[in-house]
Amino acid sequence: MHEKLLIGRLIDTGSPVHRLDPRAKLTAMLLYAVMVVCARSWLALLCLMVFSVLMMALTRIPVRTYLKAAKPLRFLMLFILIVQCFAVKGGSVLVAVGSWHLDSAGLEAGAIAALRMVLLVSFTALLTFTTSPGQLNQGLEGMLKPLEWTGIPAERLSLMTGIALRFIPAILDEAQTILKAQASRGADLRELPWKEKARMLTALLVPVTVGAFRRAEDLTASMESRGYRIGAPRTRYRPLVWGQGESWFVAAFVLMCLVIVWIGFY
Amino acid sequence: MAIQLEHVSYTYDARSLLRQTALQDVNLELAEGLLTGIAGSSGSGKSTLLQLLNGILLPTEGAVRVLDMTLAAGKKPPKLAPLRRRVGLVFQFPEQQLFAETLEKDLMFGPVNFGAAPEDAAARARKALKQMGLSEGLLSRHPLQLSGGQRRKAAIASVLAMDPDILVLDEPGATLDQISRMELTSLLHYLCREEGKTIIVVTHHIDELLPYADRWVIMHEGRAVFHGTRRGLVDEAERLPGCGLSIPQPIRCWRELEAAYGLQAEEPCLSPSALADRMVRLASAAAGKERVYA
Ligand SMILES: Nc1ncnc2c1ncn2[C@@H]1O[C@H](COP(=O)(O)OP(=O)(O)OP(=O)(O)O)[C@@H](O)[C@H]1O
Ligand SMILES: [Mg+2]
Repeated sequence: MHEKLLIGRLIDTGSPVHRLDPRAKLTAMLLYAVMVVCARSWLALLCLMVFSVLMMALTRIPVRTYLKAAKPLRFLMLFILIVQCFAVKGGSVLVAVGSWHLDSAGLEAGAIAALRMVLLVSFTALLTFTTSPGQLNQGLEGMLKPLEWTGIPAERLSLMTGIALRFIPAILDEAQTILKAQASRGADLRELPWKEKARMLTALLVPVTVGAFRRAEDLTASMESRGYRIGAPRTRYRPLVWGQGESWFVAAFVLMCLVIVWIGFY
Repeated sequence: MAIQLEHVSYTYDARSLLRQTALQDVNLELAEGLLTGIAGSSGSGKSTLLQLLNGILLPTEGAVRVLDMTLAAGKKPPKLAPLRRRVGLVFQFPEQQLFAETLEKDLMFGPVNFGAAPEDAAARARKALKQMGLSEGLLSRHPLQLSGGQRRKAAIASVLAMDPDILVLDEPGATLDQISRMELTSLLHYLCREEGKTIIVVTHHIDELLPYADRWVIMHEGRAVFHGTRRGLVDEAERLPGCGLSIPQPIRCWRELEAAYGLQAEEPCLSPSALADRMVRLASAAAGKERVYA
């Protein structure tokens, strides 16, 4: 169950990317999303791919691991590929069955769409692989802070996302624990017939929700007992520092962004 | 042999970067009808070892043989339900054990799954509850409405209700008061002696289990570094500090007595009363000798 949820986990290899200011990484990811949207040709995608692999190498995490992060979405990608194949017409006819025919343009559009999806999902895993949820959140807050005058409650938002990020693995663990306990007393999900399986999984909902609430209550109590108050001025354990490394990192993404846009025009 | 482990290793998240080897090349043979104590410092792999015994975890290397079943690394495991009927596992944290809406449902969960009729299951639930010294008034409560100690007892009762042949408990005495802990130890002793159950207990209170356990296993950094009788443990007690454990008081006392009176290879007396008895006999024998010389 855990392996499937590789995205959202920190993998600490101590690379320079791990040490970067989370704001730099967040900005870089936004730029990357722009690049993925703008990259519509094979050439642009190729450039983007080379760039992505180089950046991934910088983190010292194998590319294989990034690809694994995109694996849970493989059916969605397949779906996109198929839809594009059906929808886009033009070019030469590859296969024809009766009145329906698969065109080369359709296949190309589908392949490009699926590839962009793979790039986007696996590359943005870089953010969570190299940044702890806490740091990520701090970065998010740091980026929203200047917008506070517009009424965006930066601190509240970051607290909320921070807790949500912590709770997802916690809730999965909880479900895992209950499944273990049930298996150990004779109701192994893997060995039950389909109908029973569905019943067991729905039965899981109640204790997991109860567990989540219990955790939430414990968390509030422990935060308040240590003096946490929203809006109260607080110092940072690790203040955000923007150095030269951060500037270079973001500059690389800006440059790549320009390259992609430029390829798009010509 | 009730349980046999051959070159067993277990690695958590074996195929990812987060891999964590919890057990390494463990070889053990635990005989039927004995009470075995397992000790070791935090993170030494005790809980992992126990979860291998009823197929909750499958070995990543080696083979685990329990009763007539073999769970070998890399092989498709056989149907595990019959194994779990005969091997009851009490997890380390009672929160890990209880999941039903009421305590009664929780206690009946195991027996019902293993094919007991509802009335029979209810009767077993009540019996197990009584064995753990809990009142029947708690049956309609949600498990989370129990106190920590009650929850712990309920978790143990939920496994007792299944009436397994092999009972495996992970620190059952943690969070219990001393009297409850002693009651639990005598219950386990009773189940072992009178009902012929095989019992395996992980404990951090070695001294309390010493008078009852027939065998001991000491875990250290994922390896079983000691497996033997009480006598063997007394002889090799110097190794305990190296495994992050202190030498239990009863063993220390017995060894002082051995040294003082030159006793050799005698079955150690490790409960306070047995030790006191032995001391009185030694003292009177010594007094008798003095009288002879006088
Ligand atoms: N679910 C898990 N995922 C990854 N690693 C784990 C997991 N559970 C345990 N470990 C690791 O395996 C090793 C052995 O853990 P185990 O729980 O068996 O220790 P233990 O002897 O029961 O300790 P304790 O006395 O604290 O209960 C530890 O290093 C631990 O960090
Ligand atoms: Mg443990």
